[in-house]
Amino acid sequence: MDPEVKNSNFSEIITLRPLEVSDVDNLMVWASDERVARFCPWEPNTKREQGLDFIINRAIPHPWLRAICLNGKPIGSISVTKNSGNDACRGEIGYNLAWEHWGKGIATKAVKMAVKAVFEEWGPELERVEGLVDVENVGSQRVLEKAGFYREGLLRRYVVFKGRSRDMVMFSILCSDVENCSL
Amino acid sequence: MRWNPITSREEALTHLETVAIPHPWRRSIGLLDDDDDEDRSIGYISIFPGSGDDRSRANVGYILAAEYWGQGIVTAALRIAVSTVFADLPEVVRLQALVEIEHRASQRVLEKAGFLREGLLRKYGYCKGEIRDLFIYSLLSTDQRRI
Repeated sequence: MDPEVKNSNFSEIITLRPLEVSDVDNLMVWASDERVARFCPWEPNTKREQGLDFIINRAIPHPWLRAICLNGKPIGSISVTKNSGNDACRGEIGYNLAWEHWGKGIATKAVKMAVKAVFEEWGPELERVEGLVDVENVGSQRVLEKAGFYREGLLRRYVVFKGRSRDMVMFSILCSDVENCSL
Repeated sequence: MRWNPITSREEALTHLETVAIPHPWRRSIGLLDDDDDEDRSIGYISIFPGSGDDRSRANVGYILAAEYWGQGIVTAALRIAVSTVFADLPEVVRLQALVEIEHRASQRVLEKAGFLREGLLRKYGYCKGEIRDLFIYSLLSTDQRRI
């Protein structure tokens, strides 16, 4: 039995939908939280204008970015970024979730939904969705593992943000790994 | 290699002018012949730093004329390159190389130059029209290097 269903209230429904300007106050709940921003390249937002700027200039134009909604209310966001040219076969997943909703399997469910959606929408061109997780971010590593990703290796000093190099764990899921993959 | 073989002198000149010479870090592997006064280029090593958030990381590529394979030339050249590139590109802390599973010789070159194999990236990229699994290797500015 799916552990997420067992642990959660049956009336709680997770959906994904595009972010809207009217979501800004809900967005600020997680975007202003240091615990959420800890392993992200960005600093916690302190002003509502930053949230609006993100929604208008980054989220809405993004090729694939969705609000993670719990019973219709945004509690996080998830995105898959596609590459171009020789790298068009792979996309990179990223997500944020409000701290009070951690530990309930919500991120895992959102990742599974997003992976299924992008393999369907980007058809035969997309073969691989990957995720890069800070080696210290054990929670996110578990999310990807539970969502069916394979851990491929530790990429040392892969990226620099917030003033220091980060070792990142590389995870991937292929279209052929996903059940009922239509390709 | 990601690009198709160059088959004419015109293509070679175009490649030199538009790709090779403007490149941020590319060094010719030169061979000194007894008969020549100057060394001639028999290949090259390229280091491609990323831009923006990715500028601490650089991809390594190399190529050598086939008649010189199997003599340890690229390994020697790569060791020399590695000894200077971190000083030349001070923002780079990580060199990395992607190698196809079948290219055992290339994997040996990297291992002998001190690179560490970190994993296999499945269906990572196109190489001449096919999506391939690629090994990823890295060498850090803080790694001990044999020269």
